[in-house]
Amino acid sequence: MKKYLLTLLAGAAALASCSSPNDEFGPLVPAAPGVYVLSEGQFGQGGGTVSAYGINSKTTLIDAFGSVNKSAALGDVVQDMGVVNNRGYICVNASNKVEVVSVPDFTSVATIRNIRQPRYFAAASATRGYVTAWRGPYTNYAPGKVMVLDLTTNTVIDSITVGRCPEQLVVANGNLYVPNSYDNTVSVIDASTNKVTSTVTVAAGPTSVVADQANNLWVLCSQPYGTTSTPPAALVRFAPGSTTAQLTLPFASSGPSQLRISPDKTQLYYSYNGAEYKMSTTATALPTTIFMRRNFNGFAIDPRDNSIYGAVSTGYTTNGYFLHYPAGGGKALDSVTVRVGPNGFAFY
Amino acid sequence: MSVFNPLLGAFSCARRGLAGCALALGLLACLPGHGQAPAARPPRDTLAGRRHRLPEARVRAVRPERFAVGSQRLEVDSAALAQYRGGTAADVLGARLGLYIKNYGPGQLATLSLRGTSAQHTAVLWNGLNIALPTLGQNDLALLPISGNTQLSVQLGPAAALYGSGAVGGALVLRTEPDWRPGLRGSVQADLGSFGLRGGSLEARAATAAVAVRVAASYRQAQNDYPYLLREPAGLVRYTMRNAALRHQWSISPDVAWRVGAAGELTAAVWLTDTDREIQQGTGVAGSNAREIDQSRRLVLGYRQVTPRGGQWQVRGAWFEDIINYSDQGAVSNSRVRTTQSQAEYTAPLGARASLRLGVEAQHFVAVVDGYGPDAIAENRAAAFGLLRYDPRPGLRLSANVRQAALPAGLAPLTPTLGAEWDLHRPAAPDSVAAAADRLGLTLKASVARTYRAPTLNERYWRPGGNPDLLAESGHGYEAGLRHRVAPGARLVLETELTAFYQLVDNWVQWLPLGVGGAYSPRNLRQVRSQGLEASTALRGHLGRHRAAARVAYSYTQTQKTQGVAADADPVGVQLAFVPLHRANFTTDHAWRGWLGSATYTFMSYVYTDASASGFLPAVGLLSATLGRTVALPGRTSLTLLLQSTNLLDRRYDSYPARPAPPRAYTVSLRFSYH
Repeated sequence: MKKYLLTLLAGAAALASCSSPNDEFGPLVPAAPGVYVLSEGQFGQGGGTVSAYGINSKTTLIDAFGSVNKSAALGDVVQDMGVVNNRGYICVNASNKVEVVSVPDFTSVATIRNIRQPRYFAAASATRGYVTAWRGPYTNYAPGKVMVLDLTTNTVIDSITVGRCPEQLVVANGNLYVPNSYDNTVSVIDASTNKVTSTVTVAAGPTSVVADQANNLWVLCSQPYGTTSTPPAALVRFAPGSTTAQLTLPFASSGPSQLRISPDKTQLYYSYNGAEYKMSTTATALPTTIFMRRNFNGFAIDPRDNSIYGAVSTGYTTNGYFLHYPAGGGKALDSVTVRVGPNGFAFY
Repeated sequence: MSVFNPLLGAFSCARRGLAGCALALGLLACLPGHGQAPAARPPRDTLAGRRHRLPEARVRAVRPERFAVGSQRLEVDSAALAQYRGGTAADVLGARLGLYIKNYGPGQLATLSLRGTSAQHTAVLWNGLNIALPTLGQNDLALLPISGNTQLSVQLGPAAALYGSGAVGGALVLRTEPDWRPGLRGSVQADLGSFGLRGGSLEARAATAAVAVRVAASYRQAQNDYPYLLREPAGLVRYTMRNAALRHQWSISPDVAWRVGAAGELTAAVWLTDTDREIQQGTGVAGSNAREIDQSRRLVLGYRQVTPRGGQWQVRGAWFEDIINYSDQGAVSNSRVRTTQSQAEYTAPLGARASLRLGVEAQHFVAVVDGYGPDAIAENRAAAFGLLRYDPRPGLRLSANVRQAALPAGLAPLTPTLGAEWDLHRPAAPDSVAAAADRLGLTLKASVARTYRAPTLNERYWRPGGNPDLLAESGHGYEAGLRHRVAPGARLVLETELTAFYQLVDNWVQWLPLGVGGAYSPRNLRQVRSQGLEASTALRGHLGRHRAAARVAYSYTQTQKTQGVAADADPVGVQLAFVPLHRANFTTDHAWRGWLGSATYTFMSYVYTDASASGFLPAVGLLSATLGRTVALPGRTSLTLLLQSTNLLDRRYDSYPARPAPPRAYTVSLRFSYH
């Protein structure tokens, strides 16, 4: 009987040596040219990651930040990343921080912590960056902020109050255009003074702004969650000098997102109803034909070769993937699995 | 692993089709004269046998467990329970039974996963009534203080016929049992522990020939401001946990049993719990000040009567109110559900060897939940059940049970259960052991069951996405095993149990963005299979004045999604997140004169933290221990000093991703008892 007990005990002890699954990844970021792929990660689990994909080697380093920086966690909900010269600025939304990394090797440079609810990054120069930041919880949103960063010291030097839930901003014509997604406005900020010079009323729920070749601003709007408006969504165009003379192209339903512009600033792209659409900046009506029948959670065009990257998120518990297409679309060149919730790209 | 080899054969049989095996088993069991029939047998613990003892326990209830023949049941004995009287079910079930608990932190959300199933797949019953939160269809074990109960057991495997909706992976059965020992007894205890833990509890019992009363209450608070380390680019950085305090937790539970006439018993039990806690966020989440208040008020009235012909009927009525009020940075989410339940059942002896129970029950819910909109919603459910226990021969016990539930969206699947236990070998037992009513020898056991889980109120009514057409999840399972009891010494019993199980859950509910406008909506999409092995060996008894017990248990649980649809991206054939493949547990308890010593060690292999099996929490082994000393004082009083430590090996681990668990912690308790 005692022997039996001992055998069981030995079995239990043997279990203690059971190995864990392989958690080792390639230690280095693949050689340039490459693309960083942002994965939000599961909320609350600190699993936000940025993976690095070498375009020539077709190799991927999952979680570049952790791999290069002593297994440090990047944080919770990786929202956006901008690259300025040899620095990357990663907005980690729920962690209330912007991580600054060296590009391309991804070693940590600094952590800018005093930014609550950071969303999107844009730079006006090599030394001046901006991060939109929300204030307040859902249904009690307060006017948000644009935080002004000194990119040489990686510190917050100023903040500008804008509308509620400021989202994907753009720097154009010496101004910042900040869409206030829980309002129906775009805040215009003079980048030399960091003051709001005007507030442009557009349709409800502007989420992203791009500037085209003719210096016109395009604003993609979709009614905020839990609200209704007419139209439910719209693409709005205005010129910097005459912001009230707008072209408004209404959508039949809410939901268009991810407004992007081609590197030559002549083609607009957006995601709507589970598909990707493409539209010329000279068009005056929304396209009726689908560009790619894919529901991308992130979309980018490589400025070096115009090839296309689309991120596919498959829910909040499974790894997602991204697809790499040749310029102009067509058959995918590569499909690569990354961590949960891929939502955007940055190039190196 | 060689120990388990004999069982692996049985297991592979299970994979091919346990129904066939069970059938073969049943046929074997019917062979007359098979097995040995020793002349001297210990008294049989059957309903028929028990009738002879009715005078001392006149209206003793026939427990549903009597109809759970052939299935695995784990019980925490009252001595072990007494060590945890300041704690919650989360503390006990992990350490004492080695069950897997998904725990977000000390005092934080803790849910039970039985046989690889999810939190909603464990029915939680209190005094025979389902107390799962109707909104979530699950219970937070950290909201179930131990002091409110006198008995705690876990039935493993599908058991809807006995325990109703949600008993898919098993059922957690909590009870307050009247103590009919005459006189007054009671105790009061104060606790002081690491990281701002303060607590206290009291219990008083009194009984006359006609009335038994018990009142128990407990209080606990804890700052949980413990240190933890985070990996950052510069190296390990030490932080102190914030916003994780258990601000207070009250539990008050008076109950009374009153013998009415010669054959009746009236019982009333109340359980009030009130918990106010800060909600600990992941270490990557900054700036949250989330807080949650959970209040439950539970009242049950019961009446039981023995009929002149030896039957029993019983009626119960219950009223529950469950409140969850959550807030974070000004965002508020409140919910209140009132539940009324009623049950009626009749248990009849069928000759000397069988008993039959027939019963009906009904539930009525009224929910005012922010997520459902401004109006209250109401829902009714009802069920009828029949339970049969038949012992054709002394060494053969059989049960056949069935339940049919009616839900708002239609009938739930019919859920029958069949169980058998067959004593293959029964040695003559020494008197001392026979007196302990232990069934010695080798017993073969098997059961087959269907089960279901009713859709929760959130799944039906949440806006947006709630799906009123959702079907009940259905499941079926098989288990078979051996139980061996031997008495190696006059006052020692060694019990070994091996069980193999296989079960499927169909129509497994998953929230996917398939609702109007892409809203997440629950759908009956998946099939999930869970299969595994459970082995345990327990030794208990006396060596002189030394009372000792030790138990080693091991579980292998493989749980995978086996079927899905295209919209459901979770892969098939991959171990589910938060189901460890291997678990092992060792507990030992010793009492010698006034001394008490106890230790538990639990081992958990790694668990995946996502459905893709890429992120994981590493394996961890945790040791906790208790040392106690009781000194008798004059006037039938005594004083007990208990020193307890959790995470004695000071393991640094996350109990959930980005939730670092506390380091080694201590609690000192002083208890004054009158008996």
